[in-house]
Amino acid sequence: MCEWCERYAEGHERWYFNPANYARKLYKIRKEEGPEIQPDPVVAGGMSLLDRGFLEALDRKDHEAVAKMRHDVEQLAWKVHFGQVVTLEDTLKVVDIIYPIALMTCACRRSMLGLPDEENFTCMGMGTGMYKWERWPQTYRGGIQFLAPDEAKDVITKMNKRGLVQTLFTFGTPYIGGICNCDYPDCSAIRTTVDHGIQFLWKGHHIARVDNELCNGCTSCVHRCQFKALSFSATQNKAYIDPFQCFGCGLCATECSQEAISMVERASMPALANVW
Amino acid sequence: MLPTITVDDKKCNDPLACRKCLLICPSHALGLGTKVGPRKFKEIDPDQFMVAGVRYEKCTVCMDCVKVCPKSAIQVSFLTEVKK
Repeated sequence: MCEWCERYAEGHERWYFNPANYARKLYKIRKEEGPEIQPDPVVAGGMSLLDRGFLEALDRKDHEAVAKMRHDVEQLAWKVHFGQVVTLEDTLKVVDIIYPIALMTCACRRSMLGLPDEENFTCMGMGTGMYKWERWPQTYRGGIQFLAPDEAKDVITKMNKRGLVQTLFTFGTPYIGGICNCDYPDCSAIRTTVDHGIQFLWKGHHIARVDNELCNGCTSCVHRCQFKALSFSATQNKAYIDPFQCFGCGLCATECSQEAISMVERASMPALANVW
Repeated sequence: MLPTITVDDKKCNDPLACRKCLLICPSHALGLGTKVGPRKFKEIDPDQFMVAGVRYEKCTVCMDCVKVCPKSAIQVSFLTEVKK
């Protein structure tokens, strides 16, 4: 079972369907929460938890050091700020739980490409904290745009169509404060997870399966995968999905005109049930 | 071995407006950051942005960023070990 559901679902089907996980207190006694984590300006580019030391340890195959750093970074991320992949269908359900929702600029694409604000509105902030956005001009660089629930659903659906993966992010776990719309290589969470095996992004509750009877080999799904899980079998002339690498975002399934890809519950496959 | 990427911050004074190196890098190995963290009620000035090597393991030392930089602010080096 998903560790986060186990801890925070409180009877709901999934942890991110529990409204309590969106209800972060507006006012808190900061002293009790310990020191705030300050960004390290030197390690630019959305990898503020990792530095060159980690890459050097990887490079010299110092498995022990890598394992320790990986463990420490994951523990910190899971406590403070990490994400989980969600299908479009589940994301649209989340929109009905939380209000307000506001469109904002993506910090990852700013740090990866220096994307200008006007081209960079792919991130969504949620919850009462958004009403205080003007206090943090840099975090909300380019301003924000509040969306009615139907508008938010429309924007998310369009971004899915465009090829962006929906992910939910915590801001002080278990509080979920963001819907991100991500792609490789410019989402630092996807990169950290896929390139370095640091579980900054958890796999979702579904798995994509190809029905070889229905797949006509058109290849339109192949470019949709952001996790290096989907390839094309020239031998069979079919899409091939590695179920252990699949993050369950559903982008391939939403693109398939033959409805040959279905999203099945991860929990229904014993060997995948605990692969996150 | 990992390459070394250094960016002379004094020469590169408005990377957010320029961003030529970020766009040309084939493996998106460079990153744009700020010298200060987010501060309450304060925007960050353009000269507080900086480019740095981040994903060194993806850098192929193709030198495209070095060539494209209008300020000649970037240096990339790859030192191979001499076999004894």
